[in-house]
Amino acid sequence: MTIAGAQEGAMYGIRRAVAAAMARDLTAFVLPGPSVARSMGIDLANAHLRLVGTPRHANLLIVVGPLPPGLRDAAAVTYAQMPRPRAILALGAGDIAPLPDADVSAPLTRAGLRSGLADLRRVIAAGAFRADTGEFNAPALEVRVEYTCPMHPEIIRDAPGDCPKCGMTLVPRETASDGHGGHGGHDMPREDRPNPADHAHAGHAQDAGGSGAYTCPMHPEVISDAPGKCPKCGMNLAKAEEVESHGHGHGHGHGHASHAPSAHGDHAGQDDKAGGSGAYTCPMHPEVISDAPGKCPKCGMNLVKAEEVESHGPGPGHGHGGHGGHGKQQDHSGHDGHAGHGGHSKAAIDGIEPHFMSMVEMTKDQPRSSDGLQMDWIKVPFGPFFPGLPAGLRLTLTLDGDTVAASDATSLVGATDLMDGPQMRVADFVERLATMMPLSPVSYRALACAAIEVAAGVEPDHDARRARAAAVERERIASHLNWLAEFGLQSGFLWLAARAGALQLAVQGADVAGIATQAGAIRRLSRRVQAAPLMRMRLRRIARIGKDAPASGPVELARGGGSDARTGDPTLKDLGFEMRVRNGGDALARLRQRCDEIAQSLDLIAAAGRIAVPQVPDVDRVSGEGEARIETPRGTASLRVKLANGKVVEADLDTPTDVNIALVETVTAQQELGDALSAVASLDLSPWEVRG
Amino acid sequence: MSILVVLLSLAAGAYALAVIERWAVHGHLSLTGPAWAALALMGRESLLARKSDRLFFELGPVLLLVAGLMAVAVIPLAPELIITDLATGALFLNAALAYVLVALIMAGWGPNGAYAMIAGWRFLGQFIAYAMLIVMPITAVAMRAESLSTVEIVASQAQLWNVLYQPMGFVLFVVAAMGLAWLPPLDLPDATGELAGGVEAEYTGVRLAVLRLARMVIILALAGATVTFYLGGWLGPWLPAWAWSAIKILVVAAAMLSVGRYMPRIREARYLALSWKLGISLALANIFVVGVIALVVPI
Repeated sequence: MTIAGAQEGAMYGIRRAVAAAMARDLTAFVLPGPSVARSMGIDLANAHLRLVGTPRHANLLIVVGPLPPGLRDAAAVTYAQMPRPRAILALGAGDIAPLPDADVSAPLTRAGLRSGLADLRRVIAAGAFRADTGEFNAPALEVRVEYTCPMHPEIIRDAPGDCPKCGMTLVPRETASDGHGGHGGHDMPREDRPNPADHAHAGHAQDAGGSGAYTCPMHPEVISDAPGKCPKCGMNLAKAEEVESHGHGHGHGHGHASHAPSAHGDHAGQDDKAGGSGAYTCPMHPEVISDAPGKCPKCGMNLVKAEEVESHGPGPGHGHGGHGGHGKQQDHSGHDGHAGHGGHSKAAIDGIEPHFMSMVEMTKDQPRSSDGLQMDWIKVPFGPFFPGLPAGLRLTLTLDGDTVAASDATSLVGATDLMDGPQMRVADFVERLATMMPLSPVSYRALACAAIEVAAGVEPDHDARRARAAAVERERIASHLNWLAEFGLQSGFLWLAARAGALQLAVQGADVAGIATQAGAIRRLSRRVQAAPLMRMRLRRIARIGKDAPASGPVELARGGGSDARTGDPTLKDLGFEMRVRNGGDALARLRQRCDEIAQSLDLIAAAGRIAVPQVPDVDRVSGEGEARIETPRGTASLRVKLANGKVVEADLDTPTDVNIALVETVTAQQELGDALSAVASLDLSPWEVRG
Repeated sequence: MSILVVLLSLAAGAYALAVIERWAVHGHLSLTGPAWAALALMGRESLLARKSDRLFFELGPVLLLVAGLMAVAVIPLAPELIITDLATGALFLNAALAYVLVALIMAGWGPNGAYAMIAGWRFLGQFIAYAMLIVMPITAVAMRAESLSTVEIVASQAQLWNVLYQPMGFVLFVVAAMGLAWLPPLDLPDATGELAGGVEAEYTGVRLAVLRLARMVIILALAGATVTFYLGGWLGPWLPAWAWSAIKILVVAAAMLSVGRYMPRIREARYLALSWKLGISLALANIFVVGVIALVVPI
């Protein structure tokens, strides 16, 4: 009995003790995430294991519930990042390929978790080591080698050859067959880590200069017809050609960051055509030109023959800088930045240290930050399984230093069709919609029922409506507590993470009496969160959104105004509902808004007196169309359905996350990394809801 | 002899801290937990990230451990129980801890991963924020003791502990110490929810065990420094000197480890702004006030 991901080695002596220790000390990474697990009623906090934030520190991968197809490749990457011995526990997960078969499978219940973990401990204690271990392979892990021209990055071929544009030999480059992994930047154990050659910029210097014009050596975008000073830095403008031919070399060095170092030899030759008249010039100040050797009047460096500067453009100065710097920092796909040095150092120029690095040359053609500095930009993927971000959301941040220069948020869960065929039975449709949204199943069940009732023209009775409203309110409390727990995890407020998570599990399936017993604890938690030290400092003025940006739910109400689908509902009015709004529109206002809503929902549930999950309406061969709106925990969702002969034949859903996900770019722009992540978290996105 | 005793108590202290940290992070108190965890780490694959800077990657955790051990060398557990009573002990402590920064940058850069690298640079960015607030309060402590020897500093507190004599310095020093040991809420370089473990993110197996141990030693060294400089070191009635040191150090370390559990992590920009603008001014004011008191009422 061994586990699939056993560590190599015979099972004897001390290894038995180590295996026993591993079985005792389970460190788990949860897929899709702890928040989804809690929504499904799985209490991992009390399962005698430690949840960790990176697969590198885990020896157990727990898959909770069915894994959406869009997340499976990322799951395989996550598994590959775990050190051996590694085990998989699948709780009601079904098909998890390309992950290997689970070492232990159990049903998705608390009892299932208990027995599954007990089995797993036995398996690990007995089989953490094995003499022959196989490699884990999955299509998502494959690295494809493609060939590209160092001069023309748009040329990409599957086989080696020459560039059709310039005839240069194409150079190999590694690329992932899938563009994105779970935790980007993590290298995989043994297997080569795929990673997109993420280039924030493909700056080629030759684009910069205009013909015959004057331009600033520091700011290539500054172009003038006459000589003068640069409006940005005050330097003297230089003839564009000069800058251009000089920058050319740099352009290469820069472009090389993504290419194999072998290509550099080719370059030096290429650039010879740019050779000048044999004058002397300063390697740092191309505008200094002299007929005789000497010192640069600006920096005192020895002047060098102009040809040398140009032909060795990508040489010691730039090339080295370009490689040392870029290969490492900018391009995390893991090109060896150091391998490139050897070849260059030979081409030493008089007066320049062989390893001289010029920041000016290195960064000249890179895009500028908002503060005017030029830094290396790196593109870092966060998610889809990043602790503190919504599970299933892939957030790609282009970082300029530690400031976000650009962001992209995509749901990897993927929208599933609302209908599984041309027509569906009403009960199946309701069930399908509820299971599609694991983070708020009750709300979507209520929404489906309401839309069908409108379409069929049936009215549930007063009591049923109240009980249904109470069920949605209960889910709102649970969902907001879940958000608080996730926020606690992200911001390192671990007491909050533990407490809110426990309360969520307690509230989730509770009846009115059960909620009443927790109400005091929930209100205390909500007060304590808002009063916690550093909380205001952490969230105030973070992720502000304007009055006119489209938003939904607490995000919208927290900036003063907006709409709540509950306002028009007579049932809720009857229960004493009043729309709560807050001014601010920042992450702090959103936190307070959610805390307010929790308190209000507690009151509404107490007023309703009964909680019942909505029952599928009885529609008997009716035809018709109807639309319903409901305020889910994340905002207003609306559903249109068309019934024909008592079957659902058409359905169309709008969700709040579809609206709010568009805000990611606004709220992360020019934010420090930590602030940007809090900003994204403050939107409470559900990747399962993304349909557009 | 005293070296052996200090090292043994260091090992015991590191284990006790591991127990407390486990509680602070995962919420369960288990006396045997860290032992099992350490044993389990020994058997795990120790991965070397692809295209890593091997030298930095391997040396980072070791250098961190060395820095911590050097700092511990000048912490007195009792008048005679100290590895080396340097005349410049307080300065030496500061010099040893300067290598924490180097080690963390190496550990961040080494594995060639974005999260670790950002974490390393973050720590570099905070350098002045905590380093000034370590040095300046120590200056005021040395002013009172008229010595940089840690033993002398403890002895100078016989009448009144420095925590009462210069409370402002105490607060600044503890905050800066937490920043230096990257403890929550100042845990920007490992920030679980932001950088998935940061500098620790790429370490596995034995290397991770060394990194964790090194961090415990750093925390112990800083708690020891706090006790030495402000809480009267081994001074105390009834119990033997070493027992007072042990109790005080463990209580301080436990407090430093657990306070972050009850608040969110500070924002990087705020941390820097507060340290530079408020912290350094207060530290200067502290030196001035202590100077005046030392001249006027010599106790």
